[in-house]
Amino acid sequence: MTADPGETPATTSARTVDLTEDAKVEAVDIPPELVAQSLGQYTRAWLRQLRSGNSGVLPVVAAIVIVAVVFEIITPEHAFLRPSNLVFIFGLSTVYMVLAIAETAVLLLAEVDLSVGAVALIGGVIAFKLVQQPGANWPWWLALLAALVICGAIGAAQGVLTAILRIPSFVVTLAGFLLFSGILIVILGGADSSVNLNTSDPNQNIIYEMVQGLISPVVGWIVLVVLVVAYGASLWLRTTSRRRQGLTAPPLALIAIRIALVAIIGAAVVIICSVNRGSALKSVTGIPWVIPIVLVVLGIWTLVLGRTRFGRYIYAIGGNPEAARRAGVNVPGIRIWAFALCSATAALGGILLGSFFFGEYSTNTADPGQLVLYSIAAAVIGGVSLFGGRGKAIHGILGGLLIGSIAYGVSLLSLGSLSTPLEYILPGAVLLAAVLIDVLSRRGSGGVNRV
Amino acid sequence: MTADSGQTPAPTAGAGTVDLTADAKVEAADIPPELVAQSLGQYFRASWARVRGGNSGVLPVVLGLVLVAIGFQIANSKFLSAQNLVNLFEQSTVYMLLAIAEIFALLLGEIDLSVGLVMGLGSVVVAELVQPTGANWPWWAAIIVTLIACAAVGAIQGTMVARLRMPSFIVTLGGLLILEGVAIIVLGGSLVGIGNSAFHNEVVIYDIFWGSFSPVVSWILMAVIVGAAGIGLWVREANKRRHGLETPPPSLTALKILLMAVSGIALVAICNVNRAHFGTIEGVPYIILIVLVVLVACTVLLQRTRFGRYVYAIGGNAEAARRAGVSLPAIRTWCFVLASVIAGIAGVLFASWQVSLTTNIIKASNSYVLLAVAAAVIGGTSLFGGRGKTIHGVLGGLVIGGIYNGLYLLGVSSQWIDVAVAAVLLLAALVDVLSRRGATGQA
Repeated sequence: MTADPGETPATTSARTVDLTEDAKVEAVDIPPELVAQSLGQYTRAWLRQLRSGNSGVLPVVAAIVIVAVVFEIITPEHAFLRPSNLVFIFGLSTVYMVLAIAETAVLLLAEVDLSVGAVALIGGVIAFKLVQQPGANWPWWLALLAALVICGAIGAAQGVLTAILRIPSFVVTLAGFLLFSGILIVILGGADSSVNLNTSDPNQNIIYEMVQGLISPVVGWIVLVVLVVAYGASLWLRTTSRRRQGLTAPPLALIAIRIALVAIIGAAVVIICSVNRGSALKSVTGIPWVIPIVLVVLGIWTLVLGRTRFGRYIYAIGGNPEAARRAGVNVPGIRIWAFALCSATAALGGILLGSFFFGEYSTNTADPGQLVLYSIAAAVIGGVSLFGGRGKAIHGILGGLLIGSIAYGVSLLSLGSLSTPLEYILPGAVLLAAVLIDVLSRRGSGGVNRV
Repeated sequence: MTADSGQTPAPTAGAGTVDLTADAKVEAADIPPELVAQSLGQYFRASWARVRGGNSGVLPVVLGLVLVAIGFQIANSKFLSAQNLVNLFEQSTVYMLLAIAEIFALLLGEIDLSVGLVMGLGSVVVAELVQPTGANWPWWAAIIVTLIACAAVGAIQGTMVARLRMPSFIVTLGGLLILEGVAIIVLGGSLVGIGNSAFHNEVVIYDIFWGSFSPVVSWILMAVIVGAAGIGLWVREANKRRHGLETPPPSLTALKILLMAVSGIALVAICNVNRAHFGTIEGVPYIILIVLVVLVACTVLLQRTRFGRYVYAIGGNAEAARRAGVSLPAIRTWCFVLASVIAGIAGVLFASWQVSLTTNIIKASNSYVLLAVAAAVIGGTSLFGGRGKTIHGVLGGLVIGGIYNGLYLLGVSSQWIDVAVAAVLLLAALVDVLSRRGATGQA
């Protein structure tokens, strides 16, 4: 990310240098896009990264494929890959995806936020309470904004305790988890209360539709084309402008492959969502709103982490806080902002969660403890390092999809009394496996301390 | 703890009456006052210097206990009644044991988030094993197997932390998820109880929490324990004195023994009041003795054995300990095993306390880990490793139990109790951080 691309060709000095021969160590640390001049070189550099432990998204993609194949084989009537189930899994996973992205912001700093589950639920309940018809009756966007701002303030408060007073983040957020789980019940109005969205009110219906609402297939195709063209154009323009200015840029073939990949995945999603998953009498087709919503969250976080100074500072602090401090980074300020943004993003996840549960929020909607475990698991499984400095927003998306697939797949299995325990055991086992891979890969790339 | 007592007098140039408050303040803060003080007055002055240096020890938690007691007594005059105090002790024992378990991880600078569910698993296993319609094992075999099962859990998690160097909070986070599932499987989807008085094995398990010694036996036991502890303390310090080692003044030893005797007498006197609404329930509950045994065993292990010294050494500076030849993986693994075994003991108590266990109770056992960490930190154990004693867990557990009990008496709903505990945990962590900063000047 922060490697200076201008220096790389100087050391290799020849345009056709074979990267498999020497300079292995340096090659490992530099993203293959920056050194490879052709597709073959790129593939070789990428394979070397894999072998040295920088496996990126490959393990989680492989895991998603394996999980999908295994569940398709073992579920009764091979139901797992039915379009109706896949769309349901998207809806279920989006909550984990958004929470995992939120957690990623904090994990990148080598901190942890154990309160995201409780904060997400608080955000959801606040938004739901504020749009109640006999009640606050705020417009939906204002309620949403208020939930994000309030939760952002909660995150900032926890961030202050961690960043300024240097209380370990897991203790601050452990206390936060207890505190906000209690406050959640208080603002719900008691342990047996619930808050519901009235779908006949157009204002409340918008929040209800965030996960439940559908975009018609035709509009879906149009949106997809627009998105792919925009993505392709921006990638293409950036690369050609880099090349024009004499900077290293990935080969054009690689760019074409990337655009094609995005187009294929997008087309697959739209096709799956366009299949009628209702009955013959009442057809249900279309893309859930939540998919573009999650894409927007992904896009914003990818830009913030990858293209802004704030993002660079986050990676710098995660890599080496002392070095970042000496380089003039305002370490406490960045940490507080990261916690605030994490909690604000979590609030959005909580609103999606309520919408996913058909617009009802009660104390039984979700267990805040399990939510936080799933979101950390999703981030780490996706490829975010627990030790800071390594991870992207896309990792949260992929990890969330994996967790959602496992959770839903197990519930399809009709295991009777075994299905409840498996909902705990499988994510736990996957989390441990992901951390083990993280630890071993760090050791492989030679950065881990002995003690 | 590991300070070489032989070297301490050298810098003070052999003068027995050096005023510790005047100079050598920094050193005084690092040396336990027992080792430098020659008279009672000096001892108190040295202790005070330590408190100001940031090594406040048990002082904050004792103050906290007093505040909790006074505050709740003013709010509700039942709080300090004998009935409620025994009730409070009984409730606190589970927190105390879990806090002691957590201290083994905290001393290393690690954390064990799974102690709550290890307790949950232990409670289910012991209850299932004594079922007359099921395994129908004798109660002692059931307890032993439960503790072995919990030890195995600790060994697996400890190995992941110590040998694979996976972060302990993630290992135990994943571990608690898996344990939750395993416990629900062992429970078999329904309810298991130990409340049937027709079966001897169930009665024994039930009595662990709910049974008590008769008042006479309570007095005798107390006299024996305080007598043995007092004689042991006196003999050891007299021995040290004879060999010319630095020892606290005899008056201090006498004061300590007196304190033990007074608290023992107070405890038995409180417990011997009839606390039943109908009929008689009196005497010291068995669990108080159980907690005392665990406390003494762990204190001896941590303060008097090489293992304990290594634990503190690793918590203070792992790299230095490694270079001094300490086997880090072995000590770390053992600490996790011990934490899980003590959590297993808490599990047996938990089964006895709850009488019948359901899936929801197992899920709720997870939240006890927060209280365990809170109790340990409130008691004075550092989150950063190397500082803490088992007694801190007992005192912190009593504070947590007091807050729960007091707020419950006042009719506060459970969510506000959680909020109060969270606030106390944050406060304790803040005190820990600030006192460390005061002690060493580190950020």
